[in-house]
Amino acid sequence: MNVQIMCKDHEFEPGTTFEKVAQLVRERVKDEPMIKTIKAKTGKDHIVFVLNGRIIREPEFTSTPLNEGDDIRWVHPYFGG
Amino acid sequence: MKGVCNKVLKVDLSQGTCTPEEVPDQVYEYFLGGAGLAAYYLWKESPVGTTAFDPANRLTFAAGPLNGAAQSGAGKWSAGAISPAFNLNSDSAATGSFGIALKQAGYDAVVTYGRADKPVYLVVDDGEAVLKDAGEMWGTDAYETEDAIHSGDGEDFEVVSIGQAGERLVRFANIQTRKKSFLGRCGLGAVMGSKNLKAIAVRGDNAYEVADPDKLKALNSEINKRLVEMDNEKPEWLQIKKVGTAMATELFAPQGNLPIKNYSLADWPEGVEAWHASQYHEKLEITPWPCKFCVIQCHNKTNFTEGPYAYQGKGPEYESFAMMGFNTMCKDVRAISYACELANLYSMDTISLGVIIAFAMEAYEKGIISKDDTYGLDLVWGNDDAVVELTKHIGLRSGGLGYLLGEGTKLAAEALGQGAEDFAVQMKGTEIAAHNWRAQYISALNYATGCASGPNHERGNSQHIWVGHITLPEWGLDHVENEERWEWKKAPDINAKFHDYCNIINSAGHCKFQEFRSYTLSDLTASLNAIMGLDWDTDDLRKCGERMTTLQKLLNVRYGWKWEDDFEWPKRFFEPVSEGPAAGKIPIGLGDAIQEYYAIRGWDNDGIPTEELLMRLGMEEYAAKL
Repeated sequence: MNVQIMCKDHEFEPGTTFEKVAQLVRERVKDEPMIKTIKAKTGKDHIVFVLNGRIIREPEFTSTPLNEGDDIRWVHPYFGG
Repeated sequence: MKGVCNKVLKVDLSQGTCTPEEVPDQVYEYFLGGAGLAAYYLWKESPVGTTAFDPANRLTFAAGPLNGAAQSGAGKWSAGAISPAFNLNSDSAATGSFGIALKQAGYDAVVTYGRADKPVYLVVDDGEAVLKDAGEMWGTDAYETEDAIHSGDGEDFEVVSIGQAGERLVRFANIQTRKKSFLGRCGLGAVMGSKNLKAIAVRGDNAYEVADPDKLKALNSEINKRLVEMDNEKPEWLQIKKVGTAMATELFAPQGNLPIKNYSLADWPEGVEAWHASQYHEKLEITPWPCKFCVIQCHNKTNFTEGPYAYQGKGPEYESFAMMGFNTMCKDVRAISYACELANLYSMDTISLGVIIAFAMEAYEKGIISKDDTYGLDLVWGNDDAVVELTKHIGLRSGGLGYLLGEGTKLAAEALGQGAEDFAVQMKGTEIAAHNWRAQYISALNYATGCASGPNHERGNSQHIWVGHITLPEWGLDHVENEERWEWKKAPDINAKFHDYCNIINSAGHCKFQEFRSYTLSDLTASLNAIMGLDWDTDDLRKCGERMTTLQKLLNVRYGWKWEDDFEWPKRFFEPVSEGPAAGKIPIGLGDAIQEYYAIRGWDNDGIPTEELLMRLGMEEYAAKL
């Protein structure tokens, strides 16, 4: 099953939930200085995920299956300036 | 073309005439509107040899196709002309509702040229235009001018106006609207002053047709909802509706991105504490001051009523307080905010002003100027009161130092001599904004190669892929690693894409702060399609951006840009700092990166667009009129 994360193709097994995407992204940025700073301050990384144009929140991750063609974006906590 | 008026108003100030002119559809397909339309009119009507204060200079105020859509951020509009700071193509964007009202008045743009023989202001009322005597307004500040028009012509006019600095040709004079938003950079206020044009007022009921109103309505609803929720997901001190762009202090300090002590430092913990968003919020007692349809609400209003610097008005943006506060090492939030508001009243760009005041402070420290020159002001670092007073002298063009500094940092440094050019933080005559080249080398590349409005952080914004974690995934720009900020490998490609992206945004009539909050290039493409009846994908959007950047480059070549201009960098950024995250970092390798940028763009080694590029973009006729 193919989904787009930040406009790039990613393959997942059928039945995979959104939780897997969140894990992948968080693993990728966990050592970033800014992520470490905000986690130290607030206890959270404050990354925001958007699934097909709508924000998806933590409690929905495990109950939301990925679907073919999903458009997934994620936004850094310090997104802005 | 749907979503636009297909018409501009030509205003010949020398003859006192106002004449509508049809605009072909292809102009919108190529350049959209806004900044693109302003560049188009320079290309069409201001020939080789035109300079900033020449009556032949076209000063164009232009709306974009998105203006009028009930979508967050769709209130941004632009003006463009040859800049008095660097005598090349330039544009600048503001928010408020002027662009929306301009379209409602029946025009996509007002193209002004010539010079009135006495001060005038332009009134465009539902398609009908007239020039009126501005004799009594001349000499008043920009806000008083707006008040006078509202009082005399009607409260429902949207107004742009200049203050004394614009009239007196301060080379970094700006143009204000609604007492809160500014065409800040490039000195367009001085161009307006040179034409004896004090203000423009527009209103109307023109209903231009949107191609697919139902689709647009659905897009607006989805996008606005997402943007609101995005900000709410953040900690309070990072929520833009709470603290405006003051959230950037928290964001930029750990990256060494702040401008401190005329960019001689990259770390100042006391200043970071003083200018933290929480302090800003508390000391200025701010409340949101949103633009029409905007759910982001970055503008804010001060409400403090006690003390020598009490005022109720525009709370300074990050760029303003960073340049006027950090760069001068001033920590009194109220005093510096007041100085910024004075600059707004006189109509001066606070970025350039902050650079030139810091420049003057360093000249004072080095003994190049003394109290005899500074009207008795003790121009030491951190003297908040002196910043306020010097702002008045520059804005009103007092004789002596105030007048000289109004010429901008480049000319002031040349006039002072004695090594002053070594600490003049400018390039091509434009002062460098609040992003430190040492913190991410791409800032240097952006400033060196930008051709939309000279060296300008905002018309490239490529630094934001690091400093603000902005991405453009549709164009292949995704998350980058922190260490890459000091590498050149990807920088030319990123920089080219960001230049095109900024051109698109400033021509469509949208606000980049939406992209800073999860608005995507796909959102923008879908919105333009729904409004204009296009069938674009995001590659078409890029091509449109390429056309605009190419047109701007052609204009710069016409007005005298030379290859060497891109290679004369401020010396200050090649002096490493010893503390902070950017310690020891200087952008060595910039020259090679510039050449690679040219190549990626399809420009030759001299930085000129190639015939092959012009053919690919369908722009042969634009080169022919060089």
